[in-house]
Amino acid sequence: MMEKLHPFHVSIMIYMNQSGVIALILPRLFASNYGYNGWLSLAFFFAVSILNIYLISLVYHYGQGRSIFEILEASLPKFFLFPLYVLLAALWTLIGCFAAKQFVFIFQMLDFPTTHPMLLKLLLDILAFSLVIKGIYSISKATTVFFWLFVWMHLLVIYFFGEFQWVRLTSFVFQGETDFVQGGFDIYSAFLGLEIALLLLPYAEKNKKLTRAVYIGNLMSVLAYLVVSVISFGVYSLEQLKRQQYPVLDLLSYIKLPFIERMENLLFAFILFPVLVSVVLYTWASVLALKRIAPKADTNWLAFAALAFSFGAAWVPDVISEVEMLLKYFSYAEEGIAFGLPLLLIIVLLFQRKGHTHA
Amino acid sequence: MHKISRIGAALIIPLLLPACADQRILEELGTVHTTSYDLLPEEEGKSSKELLITMTIPKNDPENRKVREEILTTTSINSKGGRIRLSRKTELSLVSGQLRNVLFGSRLAKEGIWPLMDTFQRDPSISQRLKITVVDGSAHDLVTEKYPPHPMTGPYIERMLEKQEKSKMSAEATLYDFTRDYYDDGIDPIAPIVKKQGGNVVMEGIALFNEDRYMTKIPADEVLIFGFLQGDFRQGELSMDFGESANKEANNAMFTSLISKRKIKVFANRSRDDITVNVSVQIKGSVLEYNGKMDLSIDQDRRKLERLISEQITDKANDMISKMQKNNVDSLGLGQYVRNSMSYGRWKKLNWEEVYPHVRVHCKATMVIKDYGKFK
Repeated sequence: MMEKLHPFHVSIMIYMNQSGVIALILPRLFASNYGYNGWLSLAFFFAVSILNIYLISLVYHYGQGRSIFEILEASLPKFFLFPLYVLLAALWTLIGCFAAKQFVFIFQMLDFPTTHPMLLKLLLDILAFSLVIKGIYSISKATTVFFWLFVWMHLLVIYFFGEFQWVRLTSFVFQGETDFVQGGFDIYSAFLGLEIALLLLPYAEKNKKLTRAVYIGNLMSVLAYLVVSVISFGVYSLEQLKRQQYPVLDLLSYIKLPFIERMENLLFAFILFPVLVSVVLYTWASVLALKRIAPKADTNWLAFAALAFSFGAAWVPDVISEVEMLLKYFSYAEEGIAFGLPLLLIIVLLFQRKGHTHA
Repeated sequence: MHKISRIGAALIIPLLLPACADQRILEELGTVHTTSYDLLPEEEGKSSKELLITMTIPKNDPENRKVREEILTTTSINSKGGRIRLSRKTELSLVSGQLRNVLFGSRLAKEGIWPLMDTFQRDPSISQRLKITVVDGSAHDLVTEKYPPHPMTGPYIERMLEKQEKSKMSAEATLYDFTRDYYDDGIDPIAPIVKKQGGNVVMEGIALFNEDRYMTKIPADEVLIFGFLQGDFRQGELSMDFGESANKEANNAMFTSLISKRKIKVFANRSRDDITVNVSVQIKGSVLEYNGKMDLSIDQDRRKLERLISEQITDKANDMISKMQKNNVDSLGLGQYVRNSMSYGRWKKLNWEEVYPHVRVHCKATMVIKDYGKFK
């Protein structure tokens, strides 16, 4: 029998899938779109993410251990589902692809200005491939290792307690130039990654434990975002924060220890871990979707095809602003999936139930 | 086990391989330590103002077993353009990763330094801890001068500033501090100001900016008073001279191990310009030296000395605040507190820069003698 995912591993996978380069940008997004004390809006996004997880938990509940593909295929015709699967597979692959390319571009800007970015991307894809083909159980184990290699970085905030001043937070709430709607979509992309929980059901232990694990993983992300954002608002002035491309990277560059300084070059490399986890999990998800279209195809070859497609697509954006724009639009689409797919599944499941009781 | 080692090996590869492409050999790098900028006198027929740019680069001299300092100077209209010109003069590739201090001549500082700060913000290789310093006079002359006991001018100035900051005899002004206060609408930036004097570089005080323009300075012997007003701190030494005009009960006193706490209260009435700011400072310290007729072991005498000192600090602090208001520099960040005392709409309507010089600011300092040493 296949080993089941432990709730602890699920929490960590959700947390690692949500984290990434977005955590470096988030304080600026709060400042630019929600103005003074924009970090307070995190409460709203947290509530939305809870609603998102609740929808997923309903799918668990009504689906009774079936995978989302089984649920869909039981009620919907293949000519409708196959294009949907292709769409999902492409979207998931591309999100992972552009998240990786964004990481590579920043890494290149910091450390390797003349190295070809696609070389770095290739190395990342090779790593992702070697993990994807091992299956979700090995991915979860590796993610746990990456988690410990990454999570200690949050302790670095202690360093900023000295610079932090409450007076800089000001007494204003959401004042100044704001863009609640579009900014909201941008910020919610920091919560993307939790929708991968939809696919975990057949691989996990009991439903209830799985749901709780997803909630915990999401809570871990929220706490990390909260700490980083509050610190940024208390350490930087609002206008400054709005102008910083990667405010958290600037925070890291401020750290000076007796034996080392300018650690941001070194510390940024650790962001590789959540980025890698995102690439791996999204590729794994797209392989699952592809497998439904071509059930007889070899999983390894499907993973190879997905990553080859990802590598090819990564050639398209040539500059960092293009990658960020593409990532933004794909994130909007994924936000639609994060809510739309569970809703579709719930509707299908409700019809199935109705049909069942009528029969 | 096999799996883990394979994944581990795969993880290390991407971290190592790219290093083959972007090589930086230490011996071939010119790690700029200090850069100085001065404004050249305007020439007729030239539209933009030219800068005199000087860089110091520490160099290893293995033959003589010592470190030398190479100094390069050029003129340019912008910072990075200057670097390109300077790189023509040296066999090293100039890099900014170790840039520690940037000095601005006072003439340039008075015109505004923000156009030059842009590159420091943008260049990812430049540290947020880069020190911003103003030079009374020409920064180029200060950097190129030889100071015999200090073979390396750049590190000499940097360490001097660092030591002064620690004992609160100077203000901390890094790229981070300066940018933060520049963009904040409730505070103006500050930077230490130094000067060439004899064979030394001496601390001249604190340069106060209005946005990015250097307006006035706090003289070196009043920097501690500025420190009291600026915020809480622990550490520092205070010497008080009561002069001839004061009664003979105290001539002078010196305090150490200072602990200072500052509180700001704002009273903003509904009417637009009626704003009062109360600054209260509480200082605790130990007496290390005292000359006068009073006996510090007697409580009454000690209270009297405390009162004398409190009065003197209060007077000096109020004078300093008036000076800042007159020059329209809100270096203490009173605006931040005024901002927090009102609604956003009212703050936006209130033109702080216009209102600030007319705001009523009262400072009250209270000195408490913690102990008076081991001698009665």
